Amino acid sequence: MNNFSEVQGRKWKGEGTTQNLESISIGRCYDYIRVVNPAVGEKNCSELWEAFINAFINKDPCNILPQDFELFFKLSLHPIPADKSLFWENNQLLVNSFSDRARRYMTLGDTLFGFFGDFLNWCGKENSTGLDYESCPTAAECENNAVDAFWRMASMTYAQHSSGVVHVLLNGSAEGGAYPVRGFFADYEIPYLQRDKISQIVIWVVDDIEGPNIDSCGYNTVQILEDRLKALGYDVTCTDNYEPVMFLLCLDNPDHSKCTLSSSAPAAAQRGPISSDRGGSWNRLMFVSFVGFLFRSALVH
Amino acid sequence: MPSQRGSARRRQRCVLLTGIAILLIALVLAAALASVLTGRKEEASPEPLKWQGGGTTRNLREIVLGRCYSYLVEGRVKLGDKDCLKIWESLKAAFIHKNPCNATTKDYQPLMELASHPVPCNKSLFWSRTYDLVHLYSRSNHHFLTLEDTFLGYMLDGLSWCGDPSAPGINYESCPKWSECEGSSGSVFWKMASKMFAEAACGVVHVMLNGSIETGAFRSSSVFGSVEVFNLNPDKISEIRIWLMRDIGGPQSDSCSGNSIKKLRNILEERNFKITCEDNYRPVQLLQCVHNPGHPDCSLCTNSTEAP
Repeated sequence: MNNFSEVQGRKWKGEGTTQNLESISIGRCYDYIRVVNPAVGEKNCSELWEAFINAFINKDPCNILPQDFELFFKLSLHPIPADKSLFWENNQLLVNSFSDRARRYMTLGDTLFGFFGDFLNWCGKENSTGLDYESCPTAAECENNAVDAFWRMASMTYAQHSSGVVHVLLNGSAEGGAYPVRGFFADYEIPYLQRDKISQIVIWVVDDIEGPNIDSCGYNTVQILEDRLKALGYDVTCTDNYEPVMFLLCLDNPDHSKCTLSSSAPAAAQRGPISSDRGGSWNRLMFVSFVGFLFRSALVH
Repeated sequence: MPSQRGSARRRQRCVLLTGIAILLIALVLAAALASVLTGRKEEASPEPLKWQGGGTTRNLREIVLGRCYSYLVEGRVKLGDKDCLKIWESLKAAFIHKNPCNATTKDYQPLMELASHPVPCNKSLFWSRTYDLVHLYSRSNHHFLTLEDTFLGYMLDGLSWCGDPSAPGINYESCPKWSECEGSSGSVFWKMASKMFAEAACGVVHVMLNGSIETGAFRSSSVFGSVEVFNLNPDKISEIRIWLMRDIGGPQSDSCSGNSIKKLRNILEERNFKITCEDNYRPVQLLQCVHNPGHPDCSLCTNSTEAP
């Protein structure tokens, strides 16, 4: 029956493997070690790629486990500077802007192993060493798919190697609450934090500028999180609407009342003699996926 | 009788010894000749030329290809069909085996043609000496595109490359700084790419300048001042908006009413452009505040912490 549906076309409901995955991944690996963060030293990017695909090719795409990626993470591991870990839920693009490609903070996406796979998609086929470019299983179709297995292992690795003051940025406007009680942070990061290496956990709960205030420090799911971490023996602090992150959100809504700078009153007088035409309303900030690269570009620029 | 035999034997021995000696001498000469020849061969392959800048980025090919395919997958700009391998070969051909101080626009023309694409109107964002801030902004606000957010700029931003006449033709040790020679690979490439980026701009264009520089926000010697300004097309551009950003807590050296902006205005008005200027454009200033949270210029007026 499976063969028949394969002949028919798409086997799974999800998008297929990203085109040119090998070139993109190997390119990112070298981009990272040569441009973005050369401090990690020399890595064999071809070896990394081999370890990566061997985790899931020629296997049942519904039976890939985090441990299958163990060699990849062993090879791509590098130190995460103390006090720079930043965990997050429901605000990936915001957190990427905030971390500024590992210069302020080093999120999972700013590590070599995170950078390698961010925003990409992959899966293999049973009884074939090829990648499936047509379709891949969604999480609903199989829990143990290759992409989720990778990110589970990535999250565990990232948490295990975090130290000093660790931060977590939560979205106070997220439906269902700022802290998802089942999620990567809850299931694959908190349990793998090393208590003896961590001095403090700082929680930031930030609402969307025009979003509802569903959760805050000391309430609802955030209270659940605070209690859980304290029970585990951590020193925990929590701040609502942490200003530096607010500024980022304000890019989209600079005229909103929440975004008025106390020093902005003299701004009008600073304008030059030429009349300034800023135009009317601002477009909503469109966070389209962007490759962390990079880069940039590449990196650290 | 015995004396005749004895002398014959002596003669035989002599011949034998002489033969052996000649053979040994020949062997020694051959060895000496061989070492001299190989020595000369080693002297014949020269070291690459020495320059003051960093060498070609290692694994340049893999990085460029990876970025090329990544950009195509991202779909940020409508590109049509692009062949990444062809683009790499074209870049390599532009500089390999060549003296990196003799680069010409002709070297890069094929690459420019393969990688160029139109830029939607009202999106072009130029910059001068605001590299970090302008790219932080364009990464956060996808409405704007700097040169480094276009396909060509994205592939090569932050990378270094140059050729060398000796094998293998790529210099990984050092590359010329722009100041070392007029026709350096890097400066020829980026000036050409900047020219094309300026020519492609339409509608309202923006430029982010640095008001904390003592010598003035606008310099005619910068790429913006010497290339981009002169390749903007007044028939396609409705307005040029200048954002003059001063560092938070940094020197307040220049402003919209300062001399360097007056100079820029003169150059642009002479070419029939409409110009506006704004000091410390708010959204970008907010971005600066992300990285200077404690500064008095960066405290938010309202800080509501109501419980849900």
